[in-house]
Amino acid sequence: MKTILFLAIVLVSGALAGTIHGVANLAIVEPYLDEAIGIENQNLFASGEEEDTPAFWVEYDAYRDWQKGGQVLAGAMLGTSMGALFGIVYALSRNVLPKGSDLKKSFTLAGVMWFTIYIIPFLKYPANPPTVGDAETVVLRAILYLVFIAISGFGVVGFYQLYKRLQSKSKILSIVGYAVFIGIVFVLMPANPDEVTAPMDLVNGFRAMSVVAVSVFWVSIAIIFGGLWHKLRPDTENSEIQN
Amino acid sequence: MSSPTQITKSTTQVPIFAIIVLALIFVVGLFVVGYDQGHIFSVVLGESAYENLYIHELTHDMRHAAGFPCH
Repeated sequence: MKTILFLAIVLVSGALAGTIHGVANLAIVEPYLDEAIGIENQNLFASGEEEDTPAFWVEYDAYRDWQKGGQVLAGAMLGTSMGALFGIVYALSRNVLPKGSDLKKSFTLAGVMWFTIYIIPFLKYPANPPTVGDAETVVLRAILYLVFIAISGFGVVGFYQLYKRLQSKSKILSIVGYAVFIGIVFVLMPANPDEVTAPMDLVNGFRAMSVVAVSVFWVSIAIIFGGLWHKLRPDTENSEIQN
Repeated sequence: MSSPTQITKSTTQVPIFAIIVLALIFVVGLFVVGYDQGHIFSVVLGESAYENLYIHELTHDMRHAAGFPCH
């Protein structure tokens, strides 16, 4: 393994895919965030915490511009972070991923990770726009979400060990096993304690676009990572032998 | 008569050092984007970091969009 090349591929593909994620958010998720924060502002005016003055809007616009720009940078950081996890799992599991090109392998792994550490946790703890969420429960919610992701992720690793040991005819059992396991965890994990107070149209639109944007990330990392690996082959070593 | 022959060998071993580096990047990156509420800047800025929440504001929109609980 060419270590430096391997690390470079992992970090570059994660950062690029994350930047694409950030830009996708700007295009499709931001309108919902703006609408949700608009409701927050109206609540602030109604409660007298803020006044609806030009000065408020100048400050607000500058603040939102900073948040919007920031999230592309945050996307690159999150992408690099998730890409690092993807790279570790890919390097360790490459030999057992479906035979064929590295693009096929990276798509398979991205699909598994997308489903098990994003979609399943999302179904239990769906994303919420601003205005939804009680600040008092944020630590609890953060812990619940992370724990569920970890249980699902380690569950896959565990059932994968079973998958390796089973005869090919019974391999399906390990997948059924994971489904039963995560189904039980899904039911047992406590629900999000917060009430959704925002209009459901807004919340549902936000959630749908959020899923699309995160899915764009996973597709992007599969293409970029698989493509770079295929082209640069960090897993090969050229050596010259004298005959 | 000998001539050099190039062979390409596929190696599967992943250097443990690379795994550790990536694992650290994963944990730190996830914490910064998903969870920091002033903790990191508090090391240099002290208590005021918990009120300014620079990283939280920077990553605010991404937190919501990526499904992290935010506030």
